[in-house]
Amino acid sequence: MKLPKIRELLEAVKAFTHKPYTSKFPFQPHEPYPSFRGQPEYNVDKCLGCLTCEEICPAEAIAHQDNTNGSAPKRVMIHYTDTCIFCGCCEEACIADHEGIKLSNKWELAFFEREKAFETIEKDLQLCEICGSVIACKDHLKWIAEKVGELSFSSPTLYQFRFKSLGVVDDNIVSAVKDYGRSDRVKILCARCRRETTLTTA
Amino acid sequence: MQKSVISIGPYHPLQEEPELFMLTVEGETVVDIEVSIGYNHRGIEKLSERCNFDQSTFVIERICGICSTSHPFAYTRAVEDIIPVEVPERARYIRTIIAEGERIHSHLLWYGLAGHFLGYNTVYMWMWKLREEILDVMEILSGNRNNYAMFKPGGVRRDINSDDIPLALKKIDAIIPTLDRLKKAILDDPVLHARLKGIGILTKEEAVDYCALGPTSRASGVARDVRKDAPYGAYDRVDWDMIVTESCDVWGKAVVRLLEMYESIKIVKTCLQNLPGGEIDLNIKSIPPGEGIGAHEAPRGETFHYVRSDGTNRPARHKVRASTFMNLPTLKATVPGSSISDATIILAAIDPCYCCTERMAVRSREGKKLYGGQELIRLSQEKTKKIKREMGIK
Repeated sequence: MKLPKIRELLEAVKAFTHKPYTSKFPFQPHEPYPSFRGQPEYNVDKCLGCLTCEEICPAEAIAHQDNTNGSAPKRVMIHYTDTCIFCGCCEEACIADHEGIKLSNKWELAFFEREKAFETIEKDLQLCEICGSVIACKDHLKWIAEKVGELSFSSPTLYQFRFKSLGVVDDNIVSAVKDYGRSDRVKILCARCRRETTLTTA
Repeated sequence: MQKSVISIGPYHPLQEEPELFMLTVEGETVVDIEVSIGYNHRGIEKLSERCNFDQSTFVIERICGICSTSHPFAYTRAVEDIIPVEVPERARYIRTIIAEGERIHSHLLWYGLAGHFLGYNTVYMWMWKLREEILDVMEILSGNRNNYAMFKPGGVRRDINSDDIPLALKKIDAIIPTLDRLKKAILDDPVLHARLKGIGILTKEEAVDYCALGPTSRASGVARDVRKDAPYGAYDRVDWDMIVTESCDVWGKAVVRLLEMYESIKIVKTCLQNLPGGEIDLNIKSIPPGEGIGAHEAPRGETFHYVRSDGTNRPARHKVRASTFMNLPTLKATVPGSSISDATIILAAIDPCYCCTERMAVRSREGKKLYGGQELIRLSQEKTKKIKREMGIK
């Protein structure tokens, strides 16, 4: 009976001399450990807009929107902070050496309005020169062309894009008529138009 | 004497899952309890069948917030059972570390809550303070305090950085003296002895009959632990003991949990020190058609998963059986005969997940008397005070 009381007393005395265990949080910022998994953030320069992260995300926290109306078509990559579960699958699956989207150390993610709980980046889109549908992001095509090297000469879409990005081909030569002629075969085309030009022209 | 019925639920104030207990009371004594489970349909199994095998892990992880590794552990074991494959050695160790770290923090959480129900708010504060240290260790090792997202069929998703291990070991070592102090404070306390001994008796036969699992069965002298019975992970590579007591009451359950924490600390430390090198993932490309079962000894008992694959990349059927499901019916044996103030701690003693939604109401048949969850905790705390007064402790 006595021993527990003496121990409690000792604890009480110790507690007087010690600092409080809790941190002075709002006044003193909290530093998480370096391995902490926080808000995933896009790196605009590294991201290719390939949508692997959207495909892999278990919580469907990543989405995209293609704006093809303006003069400069853009793909908007959207990351919803409120749906994200910070599992790190997007970073793990990222084809740009895991650097296109990366988990940061940010943990203060509170929002007043849920509708605003998202972050976006914009990537330039490459459209089909005949039908105007989306092929892929420009960075993604560039990445594929560099990855496959000289094999990219087997695909007119890839090498034409590569020439254009290098400035070897005049950017302004676009045929106005959809003639599905022979000249269309060396254009940047979507898969459907590629098939049609190949099948219909002799 | 007039009988009245106390309904605890449909949202239990002590548990995360909605369920209903109807206590029939005569005065202060509970004479019968009716346990109804299945009030809520969360659709987790169906949701898991919609995701692919890798994505399911994250849905499964969110079945329970406290034992968030138990379900993925059992699920990944079930998927690996379909193929079947052996997980790489390093992945086995990492899985064991995460699972045992979780056991420590889960038991500490239970201790804190049990202390709170009994009116020992100091125990509550100390245990949860200690739990913070463990959660820090988990953050260092896995990147998050809870929901570790470490598991995937065929291995683990993330490696433990060897630079982090010394810091984690240092933090775990720092826990032991505090835990020792708390162990003494709990095991020596005469009031806790008076309060917990001899209530909520679950005899060995009853534990076997009701198929009790985990600490609930081990406190009744049934030596039942998946980690020993059918070793997996690194449990057969590490030296540890199964804690079994014969006291059969709430006190026994408390002692089992307390001593189990020491075993878990031992396992985590040994695994961290002897972490083998090599691959952490098998990179499974496809799952053939077939069936698989997986079990894991969660902090509350054996968690069991069944997965059927039809050769696609999604589970065709996924069945989850959590340990609390088996432990709840034991209340039928433990609660009758006790007082309402004891019922609070007996219901909590099987360590069901705690609920933040307190929607409990106590009323007589005429609807005169009304108690909420807060009042029940107050009743329990008052009994402790009464015992203290009787024993002459101020």
